[in-house]
Amino acid sequence: MAKAKANTELCKGCRLCVRACPRHAIIPLELVNKNGYEIIEIDQELCIGCGMCYKTCPDNVFTVE
Amino acid sequence: MPVYKTPKSIIAPSGCCGGCGHGIIQRLIAESIEELGLQDQVIACVDIACSEWSLDCLDYDHIAGPHGRIASVATGIKKVRPDKTVYALAGDGSSYVIGWTETTYAAVRDIPITMIVVNNGIFGMTGGQMNLATTLIGDKTVSSKAGRRRETMGHPVDMLQAIKTFDVEFAARGALYDTKHIDETKRFIKKGFENQRDNKGFSIIEVLSPCPTNWKLDPVDAMEKIKNENEKVFPVGVYTDRGGNK
Repeated sequence: MAKAKANTELCKGCRLCVRACPRHAIIPLELVNKNGYEIIEIDQELCIGCGMCYKTCPDNVFTVE
Repeated sequence: MPVYKTPKSIIAPSGCCGGCGHGIIQRLIAESIEELGLQDQVIACVDIACSEWSLDCLDYDHIAGPHGRIASVATGIKKVRPDKTVYALAGDGSSYVIGWTETTYAAVRDIPITMIVVNNGIFGMTGGQMNLATTLIGDKTVSSKAGRRRETMGHPVDMLQAIKTFDVEFAARGALYDTKHIDETKRFIKKGFENQRDNKGFSIIEVLSPCPTNWKLDPVDAMEKIKNENEKVFPVGVYTDRGGNK
């Protein structure tokens, strides 16, 4: 089954993916990446690979395969 | 299951602020072009302002014209290189205020280009000044500190209603506030490139996009503002579709 993967180095901390995920599988973290933006984490147990995060992300963080 | 991968035409991260709609629009353009197999023959025209970030981000031949004149630049390129796919990516300030003449006459001439207008209701890169055509009544900007007032500052105008009357091939407005509308916007943009490939006429696609930095909102609240306020004034949908019958 397809799952989402996140390259959080590209993340800019906008949280649009957290809003879009129908399964609430994306968890906002306080951890920051190299650029100083707060990143996210994907709960692989809940992810159904629907691609909503890929579609809403402005910074191409997600890959679903 | 469908596979979602970043298009190959995106070669670098864009420099936009977090939550900016420009990143989504760049991806939709790259996906549409790759699905139609046109990536080797694209000449992209970008205007001065935040649309310039696609110069670094997208792997196409680019030209940045004088501010507001991008429809004329694209017209010129299409006239001398009719075999190329030419698209113009511009903001609402340049297309509807500073360069309204150029946009109008590209539409009147019915040049087969694809024009994508990013409507974020503000002059974003210069710090968030009021846009005469697209800032909503009551919105606070750098140049309307107490909110836009109808009596002194006029009212927002639906420019696609005007462009519709010029007998263009395709005019539509999309939005980015949820995945359904992002998919719809992608269909519009792809249709714009298909019209150009088939040499049908001028296609313009306006996209309601957030500017969280200058709206002084959280990116998520900015999307909610588009859904609850901007879409009421600027309805989403197809305004005209001639279907190739000139």
